[in-house]
Amino acid sequence: MTHAYVELELGSIEEFPARAYEHAYDQGWTDGLPIIPATGENVQQFVAASGRAADELIGLVPPRKGRATVEVIAVNAVMAGCRPEYMPVIIAALEGLMDPRFPLEHMQITTNPMAPFLLINGPVRHALEINSGTGCLGPGWRANATIGRAIRLILYNAGGALPGVYSKSAFGSPLRYSYLCGENEEANPWTPFHVGRGFTRAQSAVTVFRATNFCNISGSQGIGADEILRHIASHMLPMFSLGDGALLLLGVNHAQALHAAGLSKRDIQQKLWQFARLPTSYYAQTFVAMERAAGRGDAEMVWRTRSPDEIYIAVAGGPGPQDVYMAAGMPQTRLIKTA
Amino acid sequence: MVCTDTFSKFGRRIASTQGCPYIVIAETPNPIQDLAPDALRMRAEAMITTVIDGLTLPPAEIERRLADTVRQQIRPQGIVRSGTPV
Repeated sequence: MTHAYVELELGSIEEFPARAYEHAYDQGWTDGLPIIPATGENVQQFVAASGRAADELIGLVPPRKGRATVEVIAVNAVMAGCRPEYMPVIIAALEGLMDPRFPLEHMQITTNPMAPFLLINGPVRHALEINSGTGCLGPGWRANATIGRAIRLILYNAGGALPGVYSKSAFGSPLRYSYLCGENEEANPWTPFHVGRGFTRAQSAVTVFRATNFCNISGSQGIGADEILRHIASHMLPMFSLGDGALLLLGVNHAQALHAAGLSKRDIQQKLWQFARLPTSYYAQTFVAMERAAGRGDAEMVWRTRSPDEIYIAVAGGPGPQDVYMAAGMPQTRLIKTA
Repeated sequence: MVCTDTFSKFGRRIASTQGCPYIVIAETPNPIQDLAPDALRMRAEAMITTVIDGLTLPPAEIERRLADTVRQQIRPQGIVRSGTPV
């Protein structure tokens, strides 16, 4: 394995953080924010925390097919500000992102500002202080802020998705800095998300979604389960090119109210699927034709998703009449193997 | 490859990741989305020669013609980010 080291000439040690940041910025290694310089020593620490060999290849990151070895991942995790013990989460997320069924290459190059969203389940949330409650989508928690950032830096530095060069995203997105949270399993009256995908409560797992937006659904409009869900569904509009999935992070208040009303997660999926529809007259006819061809509509209505199965339900956040909806689909879940 | 000029450098860059840096690209000014069928036909006719070249020229000749273009387009020297697509 070849290694490259950079030598910086400094007048004093006080100059080091700023000079290291300037150099990384000039090289295109950062998302624009300051980085922690990766050194032989701290990279080694991160590799050790992964429990894997430095040269183990996790995958080739598109579009430039850069080699995401454990060492490359460690370098980016150091720069992002991670702790060494976050490495297994980052590696598991990358395994999901590089699954052939996940559209990572498209996400890396398209004009649409898609971003990975990471939902983390299991005991690892507590071990690493990954926030799943109040303020879980940030800012303020190191794990939430830096694990997602490490993923972004790997997509840049191994995948080469530099803005305006390999990435054609017309606007980019603030969600591309870091977009993740834990599931609030403690406030979830149903089974945790990863259990529904074949894991046990005692296991930790990360699910990666192709996501494109963030929509906070505010207010406690509606009395009774159907009215709550109608209010939520009114924010889940059919949308161009992202019809294949909708993720609802139910807030604690609504999760408890819907559970108390006797609804299962399947009931919620079914009702949202029926409510999240709009008349064809609302849309451009080319869009209507496209959605109908994709199985998301009939003669009168355009549907948000093809079936209830494409509506994903998790519980997150703290108390309050708030929920979050994302156009997010194509999930891949991976076990987090702690060292 | 057929694409608009806004996307041609990008198209070559992505083609290079698939092992085809010397792909022949027939390009037309962006955008084309709102063109009427007649205008679209004129654009297509203007690209026909390039399409035929791409399908009939020997690979060595294509590489010779595109050598400089490929060098400039795939790895733009010293550019790590750009507010206007490069």
